[in-house]
Amino acid sequence: MKLRRLFAGLVVGTAVAGGVAVAQHQLGSYAAQNLGKVSQPAARELTDDSRYGVASYPTFEVGLAEGAGRAETQIYCGSCHTARYITMQPPLPAATWDAEVQKMVKTFGATIPEADAEKIAQYLHEHYTPETRKQ
Amino acid sequence: MSENGTEPPRKLSRRALLRSAGVAAGSLAAGSALRGMPHSAQEKPAAELPSFTGPGANPHWNSVGPIVSEPQKAPLILLTDRPVQLETALNYFLDAFTPNEAFYVRWHLDRIPNAVDLKSWRLHVEGNVSSPQAFSMGDLLRKFRAETMAAANQCSGNSRSRLQPRVAGGQWGNGAMGNARWTGVKLRDLLNAAGMKSGSVQVQLQGLEQGEGPEGMGSSAFMKSLDLDNPVIDECLVAYAMNGEPLPMLNGFPVRLVVPGYFATYWMKCLTWIRVLDKADENFWMKTAYRIPDTPRGTTTPEAMKAGGVKTVPIGRMPVRSFLVSPDGSGKIPAGMSVTLRGIAFSGYGRVTKVEISDDEMKTWKAAQLGEDFGAYSFRTWDMTWTPKTAGKYAIAVRATDEKGNVQPDEGVWNPAGYLWNRIERQEMVVGAAE
Repeated sequence: MKLRRLFAGLVVGTAVAGGVAVAQHQLGSYAAQNLGKVSQPAARELTDDSRYGVASYPTFEVGLAEGAGRAETQIYCGSCHTARYITMQPPLPAATWDAEVQKMVKTFGATIPEADAEKIAQYLHEHYTPETRKQ
Repeated sequence: MSENGTEPPRKLSRRALLRSAGVAAGSLAAGSALRGMPHSAQEKPAAELPSFTGPGANPHWNSVGPIVSEPQKAPLILLTDRPVQLETALNYFLDAFTPNEAFYVRWHLDRIPNAVDLKSWRLHVEGNVSSPQAFSMGDLLRKFRAETMAAANQCSGNSRSRLQPRVAGGQWGNGAMGNARWTGVKLRDLLNAAGMKSGSVQVQLQGLEQGEGPEGMGSSAFMKSLDLDNPVIDECLVAYAMNGEPLPMLNGFPVRLVVPGYFATYWMKCLTWIRVLDKADENFWMKTAYRIPDTPRGTTTPEAMKAGGVKTVPIGRMPVRSFLVSPDGSGKIPAGMSVTLRGIAFSGYGRVTKVEISDDEMKTWKAAQLGEDFGAYSFRTWDMTWTPKTAGKYAIAVRATDEKGNVQPDEGVWNPAGYLWNRIERQEMVVGAAE
């Protein structure tokens, strides 16, 4: 490995890694990347009865920011919907997040103890406002 | 998900070209040796989109989520996985009809059907009627006359990510829309079979979708209602086929209501209860959600909302829109080459009568050729030959006019729920030198 790297270091002055360029065109530029997550679904066996169905809908891990209140957010918000509802949003002002938490409790009847609702709001302020959002 | 912060690929490859120019002869062997090696700092793979946009407007045509594969669906852009919300990518809009497998998906509550048994499933017509009905799929297929209609379906919040300031909600790009040929029975025929009693004012629609919330709240059931004196009632279809096939489960199998010209919120999926009401529906999804300011274009300001007193009405018809689909701006066009600009247009107020294109900052407009007319509420394709003479960056603007004389404006809208976006779309097109 070390040797190969040394070799790469030697030749990099004359060629760009991953591709060969001449004055007129560039050929063969490849770049390693993670394999995407879309898998091909297998065909399902169908029966000629009256039941029409599909496989379970896939769910995916949500990259919620690390920090205090993350667990409460995951548990309470996630009891009705994916926490991707949070990460999909643009950075929103703290007051908007407060209103969203209140909407879930008052308008939608989410049973979140007040202290936990406060923790969730604080978590959202700390990671999902224009001032704080990083990922 | 990662934001890898790389430079735009175009810039990189140009730099790479410059750096290696003039050393071509000796580099072939070295190039082969390097290929397949772990990636080093010299060149980076194509950058990924970030996982979110904002606080500025989303600059992309589509939303920025990952691509996922859901049952009966082609890979689509994920907004949320529970409940499922998927956006259709730009390339699927080249044709007037959107394939079922690519048709966008939007559910409100997390308990959505994975299976329906047609032996027990019935479409109920109940409420203020003289003889309540429960139709089986067989009844719908055999006892009523089938009708087919082309109609565009668009989420109320399509393009929500364009609004400034941004608003909370599903951060759709432009792909929360689709057009299909819907086949089914007339809603009016089903209402007539049940016999509406006097004093009926609305028809309420409910599907199989359920939520985790307490009964009586919007988080428990999704229901929408239409006024019975609305002429659209006579145009509504209860559709069991979409583009000549059963509806995908995620698009509302076994039947879905088609409300031509209207936003998709009324197009109830997995429609199971048609309820005739003798007073106006006050459930959350009518009284609180899916309402727009009662102003021209449904636009207002955050200040006016804060001050209070903005009167709202239920959302209704879709304003006129048009899109450039191809070329999509991801590649360069050589100066002097004639290319075909192609796209779609539609309006909830009736036929699109004109689509115009501008390549000079909207100083002058040229009419595009319209494609086949599939009906007043269908997507209509358009095309135009465009020959950019000199290299440079162009902004191609597209503007449609409908038969009521509505013309797409160059001003956005703002309302707190992010509905009704129909500003003129612009696509940057880079024309390269071709000496």
